[in-house]
Amino acid sequence: MIDYKSERVMYYKVLVGLLLLTAVTFGLPYIFEAGADLPAQMFIAVIKAWLILMFYMHLKGEKLISVMGIFSLMIVLVFFIIVLVVDVANFQFKDESHITAPQHTTGVTKHVTVPVKH
Amino acid sequence: MAHEYIPEISTDRDGTEHVVQGWQDDFYGGKLGFWLFMFTEVLMFGAMFLVLTYYKMLHPADFVAASASLNRFLGGTNTVILLVSALTMGLSLLKMRAGDVKGAKLMIWATIILALMFLSIKAVEWTAEYNHGVFLGLDALQSGNPHSKPFGEILFFGMYFTMTGIHGFHIIIGIGLMVWLLKRINAGKVSPEHHILHWNIALYWDIVHLIWVFVFPYFYMIGAASGGTGGH
Repeated sequence: MIDYKSERVMYYKVLVGLLLLTAVTFGLPYIFEAGADLPAQMFIAVIKAWLILMFYMHLKGEKLISVMGIFSLMIVLVFFIIVLVVDVANFQFKDESHITAPQHTTGVTKHVTVPVKH
Repeated sequence: MAHEYIPEISTDRDGTEHVVQGWQDDFYGGKLGFWLFMFTEVLMFGAMFLVLTYYKMLHPADFVAASASLNRFLGGTNTVILLVSALTMGLSLLKMRAGDVKGAKLMIWATIILALMFLSIKAVEWTAEYNHGVFLGLDALQSGNPHSKPFGEILFFGMYFTMTGIHGFHIIIGIGLMVWLLKRINAGKVSPEHHILHWNIALYWDIVHLIWVFVFPYFYMIGAASGGTGGH
């Protein structure tokens, strides 16, 4: 049988925690410059996610599922680092890319003369 | 009326009867299977966040400018609504496990109402953006014409409408699942003794909330420090 009262109190405590962290999310732009607060915002989001996973999604005490989750996240993290850091630092396809502004060529128009065949 | 499990009986060639192993009561198996499904959701949204981060690294200034034009008041209100809905869904499961079926149903209805409020606010937000010419397919988000937004902003809004749209689609599916859950409870198929369906739908609602926890700061807050208009 579950302990209804203590579990209900836990739900409300987590709600208060999540609301406070949401308030911090709104406060961060006053501390950091525009665009510089993203790492801090993501850190707050990770704490919120941890609260949701552990208490609302009942992962506390679930060893197998937790290990599966952490393992999957580690793999994704490694790909994040490889793809973002290495690839963006060496981005070399601007001329043919759809994720950078189109490269407009201006000026000379080439006229090609085709020899007439007899 | 509680759901009653009737075992299947098979007979071997000697005429001896055996009870066929039933998995209807395999609570942990049902939960583990649903977690595997949720990992596919994380993979899908994870890939979109990867793309979003890549675009942001290529066009940081455009991303900040585009984010500043989103309505943080409506986005923040939706964040709080989803927070409270996660609580009501959690309480519904708690009440079901404690044997309070009526209370559980009330909490599911509360969650449905909150989900509808979320969708209504999202509709207001998208309508305002559409009326200001910012929507998929409109001139502002097509490169190469006089009304085009800067290229990075086009990418930002493309991802914004895609990700919040897919998230909204998940909310609609969630409402459908909760209505189905209410029907199953009324039919006696979900009860305090057999509540795996309720458990998994609560998990689904939590993953929908979890995704919004990352979507909200990524889209709405990165441009907040630049002042911005606070919405279209």
